Amino acid sequence: MKKHRQKSIKNPTEPDKTLSKRQDRRQFLIKTGGILAAGAFGAVPLRGWAADPVNIGGLYPSTGSMAQIGVGCVAAAKLGVDMVNAAGGIKSLGGAKLNLIISDVQSDTTVTRTETDRLITGNKLSAIHGCYASALTMIASEVAERAKMPLITGSSSDQLNKGRHYTFTPFARASQFAQAQLQMAKLVSDKPKVAVIYENTAFGTSTSNGLKELAPGEGVEIVMFEPYSAGFTDASPLINKVKASGANALFSLSYLNDLILIVRTVKQVGLNIAINGGSGGFVMPDFYKNVGKIAEGLQGVAHWNHDINDDAQKVNVEFKKRTGDFAFEYAGGLVAQTFMLADALERAASADPQKVRDALSTLDVSSGYAAMAPGGKVKFGPDGKNIYGRPVGVQWQNGDLASIFPKEDARKPLMKM
Amino acid sequence: MWETVAQAVINGLLIGGIYALVSIGVTLIFGVVKIVNFAQGEFVMIGMYISFYLANQFGIDPLLSLFVTMPALFVIGVLVQHFLIRRVLGPNDMPQIFLTFALSLLLLNLALMLFTANYRTVHTSYSDEAYHIAGLYIPVAKLIAFVVAMFLSGALWVFLHTTDLGKAMRAAAQNRDVAMLMGINPDRVFCVALGIALALAGAAGSLLMPFYSAYPFVGQVFVLMAFVAVVMGTLGNVIGALIASLLMGIAESLGIQYVGADSGLLVVFGLLLLTLAFKPTGLGGKAR
Repeated sequence: MKKHRQKSIKNPTEPDKTLSKRQDRRQFLIKTGGILAAGAFGAVPLRGWAADPVNIGGLYPSTGSMAQIGVGCVAAAKLGVDMVNAAGGIKSLGGAKLNLIISDVQSDTTVTRTETDRLITGNKLSAIHGCYASALTMIASEVAERAKMPLITGSSSDQLNKGRHYTFTPFARASQFAQAQLQMAKLVSDKPKVAVIYENTAFGTSTSNGLKELAPGEGVEIVMFEPYSAGFTDASPLINKVKASGANALFSLSYLNDLILIVRTVKQVGLNIAINGGSGGFVMPDFYKNVGKIAEGLQGVAHWNHDINDDAQKVNVEFKKRTGDFAFEYAGGLVAQTFMLADALERAASADPQKVRDALSTLDVSSGYAAMAPGGKVKFGPDGKNIYGRPVGVQWQNGDLASIFPKEDARKPLMKM
Repeated sequence: MWETVAQAVINGLLIGGIYALVSIGVTLIFGVVKIVNFAQGEFVMIGMYISFYLANQFGIDPLLSLFVTMPALFVIGVLVQHFLIRRVLGPNDMPQIFLTFALSLLLLNLALMLFTANYRTVHTSYSDEAYHIAGLYIPVAKLIAFVVAMFLSGALWVFLHTTDLGKAMRAAAQNRDVAMLMGINPDRVFCVALGIALALAGAAGSLLMPFYSAYPFVGQVFVLMAFVAVVMGTLGNVIGALIASLLMGIAESLGIQYVGADSGLLVVFGLLLLTLAFKPTGLGGKAR
């Protein structure tokens, strides 16, 4: 690129004298700058007897509509790599350090496809992780599959476990989330009468259907099952309807803005109902910042929480120091994922993606940061699913997310409203 | 039973007040300047962000920030009229449509760039409170918004009917050429009309802030309702737009209650079609 620029600067058709004078100076700066830069980079090979770093790719939406969460994911990815490196790197590779290469997928499916391709072909990678949103991860996972590049992800879509050999999902799946939500309804009442309201596009419709199918098996009665159009101006009519249904628990499958309106309206109506806001935006620090005190006591589900064990709490402290907020589910899960990759690299004793994939498929951990998941164990089945994976039920208590379900993962008692 | 109906009507009326502020702005601009302002929703968005930052940085209550947003948006309105719209006024409608549409896209994407797509909310002591009367509830923030909206609409009506400038605006709305022959300076009248319309959008922004989130696309939610209200209430008719907005709020609320939670807009558009079928000029009759 530098060469190209010099070429254009030397363009002899340039007639303006004053301009060419300025360009002489520019050229001078480029040349001297180049020499200085060469000097700086020249220092690198001197450290060359240390092992070559192992490149890990990270695909996250750090711009676009999911930017805020994406930026948090990148911070977590860096934290994970720093922690592995501080602990001595990959010992079987001579203490090789992990080198994180981040690519911005811009919250866009098309960009995700090209960026994943570019990341894999443009770098010598050992594995990749990404992309937070299931819709984006689905695409990255397809590209990785074709390139025979192992991908590890916290995305919850069950589709990621179908017909893939290079995708690994160490955390609970979407279908398990629905089941956990239904079971949590029984914490509130012996005879749960649930009102399900869901936004009427793919996300809300598919999740709500999962709930409807599982409800009879869990002994939960659904008394209201109602789609609504996302982006409404006023939640009052909808909550009016929930009130009339006589439900004692409300499952809201909503985008963040609608959920904020719904929660506020429930409070205004003075309706005494246990709200389960699901996962995603609901279990983010931003939700509490937006909703404030009335978020207290609201329940949700997550694939990771910062109080599940001591290691998670250590990660949380460090993450909070770096970003100012507690480690949200995806961030904490991503640190665990980085340690799973390190474990695989250690056993593979190779940076070759195929060998890393094979080592991941035989991963079996029950202690340390790599096992930092609800259930405390990670072992992948043939579909890339963690056979011990399960979600954790959480509740907003004093501005923090506390694990309250299931019993073996509960760290705080359920706060009765 | 009656409680559910009454509650639905109250909910609808309260949100209808906000629709009214936006739609009165659109209908005023259309009536006086004869252009459709597609960017009206984005000015609501700007009002919301101003209120948000005043509340967030200086702790100013969103309702007090009315005194900032309304003058600020008034000035923006005058500038938009003077530097942009004035240049495309002419026999051809196309440049006007493109101008306001482009303005809408520009403001929306600028907001995305500057403020990101995150939702911003403001907490006030009354944000989550409600009055409970006879089994019904009335959210405080929405009640305040409704009362202020009705007051501003009333004030505009008084202005249009009692002051010289207001009368000049009505005259320009009824017949621009004759008004000009009578010595009314159209540039000045148009600037004031744009200013007032945008000030109302800014007011809507401030009034929404205690109970609604600000985000770059927020204007789109309200501008759609505003266009329906403007057509239903007769183009250019301020009182018509007001009544239509309130009716639409009620229709939407009842629709959600009795047809289906995703059918609120269906009922609103059904109401629009019925209005047009039986009263093609809209509820307001002639432009006033």
